[in-house]
Amino acid sequence: MRRKKKSDKSAASAITPALVMRLYVVNSAPNSLLAIANLAAICKEFLKDNFKLEIVDVLEQPLRALADGILVTPSLAKLSPSPAANIVGNLSDKSGVMRALGISGYAP
Amino acid sequence: MKPNVHAPNVNSSNTHTDSGFEAKILRLVKGARDRSAIKSGEVDAILDPASGRAILLPDAQAALLERKARFRSLVELASDGTWEQDEHYRFVSHSGTAIGSEWTGDAGILGKTLWDLAFDNSSEIDWQTHRTQLEWRAIFRDLEFRCIDRAGRLCIISLSGEPIYDRQGQFKGYRGITRDITARRQAETAAPESDRFARATLDALATQVCVLDAAGTIITVNTAWRVFAASQRGIGADVSEGSNYLAACDQIVGNERVDASAMAAGIRQVIAGERELFRYEHFCDAPSGPRWFMASVTRLHGDAAARAIVSYEDITDIKHAEQLQGLECTVARCLADADNTSAALKAVIRAVCETQQWDCGQYFCLDHAADVLSLNESWGRPVAGVKQLMEKSHGAVFRPDAGLAGRVYQSGQPLWILNGSKGTRASQTALAHETGMDGAFVFPVIAEDKTIGVLAFASHAVREPDDRLLQAVQSIGHQLGQFLQRRLAEDTLRRSEARLRRLTELSSDWVWELDSHFRFTKIIGTGMAGIGDILGKTLWELPTIVLSDDEWVKHKSELAAQWSFCDFEYAAVLPDGQNGYYCISGEPVYDAAGAFTGFHGTGLDITQRKRAEIALRASEARWRDMAGPSSD
Repeated sequence: MRRKKKSDKSAASAITPALVMRLYVVNSAPNSLLAIANLAAICKEFLKDNFKLEIVDVLEQPLRALADGILVTPSLAKLSPSPAANIVGNLSDKSGVMRALGISGYAP
Repeated sequence: MKPNVHAPNVNSSNTHTDSGFEAKILRLVKGARDRSAIKSGEVDAILDPASGRAILLPDAQAALLERKARFRSLVELASDGTWEQDEHYRFVSHSGTAIGSEWTGDAGILGKTLWDLAFDNSSEIDWQTHRTQLEWRAIFRDLEFRCIDRAGRLCIISLSGEPIYDRQGQFKGYRGITRDITARRQAETAAPESDRFARATLDALATQVCVLDAAGTIITVNTAWRVFAASQRGIGADVSEGSNYLAACDQIVGNERVDASAMAAGIRQVIAGERELFRYEHFCDAPSGPRWFMASVTRLHGDAAARAIVSYEDITDIKHAEQLQGLECTVARCLADADNTSAALKAVIRAVCETQQWDCGQYFCLDHAADVLSLNESWGRPVAGVKQLMEKSHGAVFRPDAGLAGRVYQSGQPLWILNGSKGTRASQTALAHETGMDGAFVFPVIAEDKTIGVLAFASHAVREPDDRLLQAVQSIGHQLGQFLQRRLAEDTLRRSEARLRRLTELSSDWVWELDSHFRFTKIIGTGMAGIGDILGKTLWELPTIVLSDDEWVKHKSELAAQWSFCDFEYAAVLPDGQNGYYCISGEPVYDAAGAFTGFHGTGLDITQRKRAEIALRASEARWRDMAGPSSD
């Protein structure tokens, strides 16, 4: 299963490049559901619409996850802007996730 | 939380089941972060690079199993069975009670297509349509099939399905659910049946009916209401389902404001339960003519939503009948109270005009001498057009066989021309000549089965007369005819009496009357002058009368016997001392009951004749005396 969220081309996004992420999950598994919820809350609170997120179900696309170097799920890959980052787990460590995503630089 | 990494005991292609599960996990995950995440219980699955599969950790595996079970449970709740078909649309699996031999009456459905089964409501065209759906790989929903089960009961089955594809996108068949909707369909069929019955009953009513809720909003109306609303106007006539009737009443202005307010107040009382029934009669000046309605508002029990039923019964015919009955009474009263024919005609014409909202009326009667119908009397509303028409009609005459009035006079049947009429009983040309208006109504005035005149009414509001109006004008025509005939007879008699009186006056000097006691009660004329006051006295009580006893006896006996007497002569001493001579004739008088009331008769002064006779007799006597000795 794949889900994509595209941000609107707002004035903020024109100034700050959108955060592009990919979340690898097992659909309906508890930690994956928790990771999706935690990430959604962070995005809503700090990124508004200035992000792009793709969710990949590894049960459906295991090879794609392996190709991306993912070995465990849930895993969140920050694709852009640089530097790239990878966060493993259910993303309940909010400050750690924000730090890894560099969200501190994104004023809400 | 330490991860539980034992081998999951599930039958899943994406799960790992060998005994070296823990070792394999540890071997796969070498990164510190990944291991840390696993140890803290934040990982659901591990990807095996060797097999390219995801290995579910026990918690995730349990969650998925639980989800699958939950989904199956929901499917079972939402349906009575599931099924799958292969790429040739043959059933390869099924579950539940609503599919299979129970409802097909067959040994089973496996290996059969849907159109191989015994359904009785699908034609070949239906199956072709369904096969096209399948070939297009379309999702189909709620296909309904009817069949008879083994117990002989009707079953109605609903099937929904979607296509199945493998990982390579190859079509593998269909899968879906089945629901037994027999009970629901039967209930749905039963409910509309009762609704249809109620609807048909409501629509069959000639009375306009609407049903209101507690707020006065119209829940439903019947056909009569819709037809009326479309063609008429009046209180709430333009409101329909969904609109608020009370608000519509409150918004009405003009002449109907009072009626609308009364209706709204009555409806509110009924809705509030303050009264069970509210009835209100009101008038409506509809485009098709004036109409009367009896509105009834009744409280509705036993329904949560509906609170009141408003119905309008058209009582125009009843009101017209009452009006015409009143008109007939009015005409009768006018004729009874009228002092003369002219006043009676004017009063009758006016009553008819005012009752029927006609502008003017005219009475034409036959002038026998000129053999034409001439205007005899008329009445009109005091408006310009009518006045002009009346002036124009003044002095107009028509031949008895020409024009509207002439045709009615000859036929003795009513004629009418309607406003802007097409199908009428008289030509527009004839009408225009006589009335100058759009519509006219002319009917005969009949006495003793003979038409003696016609009443012609003209108006811009003449409409097709109904039977009751024709009946009324016939009655009025006869009443008026009888009145005119009676008046004519009275006038004739009066003239005859006057003529006779004049002749009597010419042939006698006075007329006298006696009561039953032979006392003078009336003296008309001057012939009795000189004999004093005689009223209240008998002839023999008068002191100046000179008559012998025998003659008195004879005269009294004649009176007592109530015999007529003729040329009874008597003398009376005049103031100058000479005798005056008189001659009277009389006859007894009786009342309607036959009782004797006295005498009446005439008197003649014969003084000159008697004196001449006396003188002649005296002269003859002298001549006899002179001739007597010589003749001897």
